[in-house]
Amino acid sequence: MDGCIGRYLRVNLTEGKHRIEEIDPRLLEKFLGGRGLGVKVFTDEVDPQTDPLSPDNKLILASGPLVGTGAITGASCNVITRSSLTKTLACAKTRGHFGAELKFAGFDMVIIEGKAETPVILSIIDDKVRILPALEYWGRSTAETEDLFKKNLGDPWVARETFLVSIGPAGERLLPLANVVNDRYLSVGGAGTGAVMGSKNLKAIAVKGRHSLHVADGNRFVQVVNTMINKLNSAPLASQSMTQWGTAFLVGLCYQKGILPQNNFRWASLSLKNVGTEALNSAFVLRARGCFACPVACIKKTVVKHPTYQGKGMVPTYLAIGALGVNCGISDLSAIGMASMLCAEMGLDPVAAGGALATAMELVEKKVLSPEELKIDLRFGNAEILIQALRLIATKKGHAKRLGQGGKALAESSGRPDLFMGVKGLSLAPFDPRAIQGMGLHFATSNYGPHHLYANTFFDELLNVHENLDPWEIDGKPGLVKRYQDTSAVMDSLGLCNWPLMGLKFNNYVPLVNSCLGTSYKADDLLLIGERIWNLERVFNLSAGFNSSHDTLPDRFTKEPISDGPAEGQISRISEMIPEYYHLRGWNEKGEPPPETLKALELENE
Amino acid sequence: MPRIKIDHTKCTGCRHCETACSLNHVANTVNPRRARIRVMKEEDQYFPVIAGPFVDAACTSKQTIVIGNQTYDMCALCRASCPQKPYFIEAETGIPLKCDFCGIPPNPSCVRWCNTGALELVED
Ligand code: SF4
Ligand code: SF4
Repeated sequence: MDGCIGRYLRVNLTEGKHRIEEIDPRLLEKFLGGRGLGVKVFTDEVDPQTDPLSPDNKLILASGPLVGTGAITGASCNVITRSSLTKTLACAKTRGHFGAELKFAGFDMVIIEGKAETPVILSIIDDKVRILPALEYWGRSTAETEDLFKKNLGDPWVARETFLVSIGPAGERLLPLANVVNDRYLSVGGAGTGAVMGSKNLKAIAVKGRHSLHVADGNRFVQVVNTMINKLNSAPLASQSMTQWGTAFLVGLCYQKGILPQNNFRWASLSLKNVGTEALNSAFVLRARGCFACPVACIKKTVVKHPTYQGKGMVPTYLAIGALGVNCGISDLSAIGMASMLCAEMGLDPVAAGGALATAMELVEKKVLSPEELKIDLRFGNAEILIQALRLIATKKGHAKRLGQGGKALAESSGRPDLFMGVKGLSLAPFDPRAIQGMGLHFATSNYGPHHLYANTFFDELLNVHENLDPWEIDGKPGLVKRYQDTSAVMDSLGLCNWPLMGLKFNNYVPLVNSCLGTSYKADDLLLIGERIWNLERVFNLSAGFNSSHDTLPDRFTKEPISDGPAEGQISRISEMIPEYYHLRGWNEKGEPPPETLKALELENE
Repeated sequence: MPRIKIDHTKCTGCRHCETACSLNHVANTVNPRRARIRVMKEEDQYFPVIAGPFVDAACTSKQTIVIGNQTYDMCALCRASCPQKPYFIEAETGIPLKCDFCGIPPNPSCVRWCNTGALELVED
C-alpha cells in the first residue's frame, strides 16, 4: 500500500537484539495500519492474561499510512499495549512530530518486547538502530531527558531533526497513572502505558531519518488537500475556535450545558468566571503550535509567569482544565496550567491523576480518610496542595504512594468504591455522562476506558456540527456512539487526528485516503474496517476478563440526578441504551460478538 | 517582482510547507529532506527558511543574531545550501536544492498549503 513504508522494527530488550520485518500487505488492506495494525499484531502475539508489567507484555508504536504524507493532520502514532491501570487494551495517540519522523526513519511500526536489565534508550537515527545505556537519564523529567539526549548527540543539526517519546519519573516507578510523553510536552493520553514502558526499563525512543514516502496519485492528492484546507477554513469551530484557544474553548460551552463536572462530579454550576476563553487570553500568551501537517494547530504553548506558578509548556487543554482543575474545585488557570505542565514533565496522565486526586478529596471531605492518613491536606479548591500532591505522586514520596495507585484502588482500600468516578479503573474524562447521554454510553462501553477521544459524540451532541442532537435525549444515541467509535478507529488507524471532524465530514476523507494510498475504498468500507478493529479489541478484552458487567457507569450517574445547574434532574440512562447498542453491534445480550458477527467482519480466525 | 514574505511569528511549525514542496518537485514523493523550504526550530520559535543559492565553501566565521532576549544561530536561519549544513541537499543525489518558485507563473506550493499566513506571496 502506498503511504506505508512496509516495514516494522522488532526490538527485544531482553536479548538486546533487533530485527527488521516486512508487513504483510493483506494485513494493511484489512486493518489499514496504525491502531488497526498495531492491535492486530498485539492481539496475535500477546496472551490477554499477560501481566501488563511483565516482560511478556509488548509495547507497540504504530504510525498510520497517511502519517507524514502531507495529508492534513496525518501526524499521530498510536501506542498500544495492555495497560497496567485498566488491564484492558490501551491505545494512546502521540501528536506533534514523532509519528511522522518514525516513518521518515524507515518504519511504520516498532514492537518492543522483553525487558532490559538496566535503563536504556532506543535510538533509531539515520538507519542505525541502537540500544543505548540510559542510567544518566533515569529519574529525569521528560523535558530534561529530551534536552540531555539531544545534547549528547553532539551535532545540533541531527538534534534539530530528532524526536522523542519518553517516560518521566512516574513511568519509571511503574505507577498505573503513568503516561508516555512525546515531543517534550505532549501527553499521549493513555494511563498505564508509561508504566509498561518503565517496566521494560525503556526510558525513551528517539527517531530521525531521511526515507521518502510514496503517494499513489500526487496530483490528485495535492488537489484533495487543497479542497480540504478550504473546507476546514469555512468551518468556524475548526478554523477559529480551535486555532485560537485549542480544545479549551469547549470549557464554556460544556459549562453552559451542565456537562462540565465540578468537585468529583457532584456539581455543575458553581460560579466559574475564571476559566473561559477570555480568562485564557489573559492568563497566558498563546502561541499556536501545530502537529505535523496540521492546518488547525490547536496546541497552544506558553510561558507561565505568575507570582506562585512558573513554567514553560502547554496551555491546558479542555481535558486538563476539567480533570486537574474544575473537577478538583480549582478555577485558577495559572495553577491548572502549572499542574498540567507538571503532569507532562513527570509523565503522569492528567485525567487519571486528576481523577485520583478528586476521589481523594471527596474521601477526605466525607471523613472516610483523614488528611493525617494521607499525610497531605487535600481539599477541593486548594491548588497549591494539588500541585504538591502531583509531585509527590510522581516521585512516590511520602504517603502519596496510595494516591499513585489511582482513584479506584484508593476508593476501594478506603471502603468506599462508590466514590471513584471511573470505568474499568480509568477516571472519566471531564464530561458528566448524565448531561450528555451518548458520551455516557461511550464511556460505559469503550474498549479503552472512558475517554472522549475514542468517540467524539459531542461534535453532534453538543456542537451540532453534523447533526442537531439534544445531549439529554437518548434517541438515536446508540447508533451515534457506534458510528463515532468506528470512525475514530479508522482515523487512528490512518494516523489522522479526530479534531478536524469538527469541520469536515468523514466522507471528505475518502478521496484523501484513496489518492494517497492507491486504494478504492468507499466510506462504508472504511467504517467496516473501523468496526472490525473495535470488535477485535472487544474480543481481546473479553478474554482478558472483562464482560458486560464492566459496561457500566458509577452509581452516581445512574442513581443520583444532577443536583444543580442547567442539566438539573438529568440522570444517565445507559441501561436503556445498552441493549440497542449491543444489537447494533451484532453482539449477544452478554455483549459478546457471536461467530456470525465475527465471520461477517472476517475475524472468525481471531 | 513577486516575493514570498515570511512572518515567523505566525508559523506553527506544522511543516506542511515542506511536504507540499517535496510533492511538487519529486513526483508522488514526500520527504521533508528533499524540500526547498525547511522549518527551523530555534529555542521556542519556528523559522521557515527557503533555500537560496548553493555556496561551495562554508563561512569562515560563526555568526549569531540576537532578537529580544534570545540568541539565534545564523547558520540555522541562513538560506544557502552549504557543505557545513546538511540541509537543502537532495538526499539521494547530493545535488544542492534551490527554491524555484514552483515554476512560472509563480504559484509556490508551500504558500498554498500554509494555512496560518506565515508564508505569503506578495508583489512589489
Ligand atoms: S487539530 Fe490539534 S491535535 Fe489535531 S493535528 Fe492539529 S494541532 Fe494536532
Ligand atoms: S506551513 Fe506555514 S505554518 Fe506550517 S510550518 Fe510551514 S510556514 Fe510554518
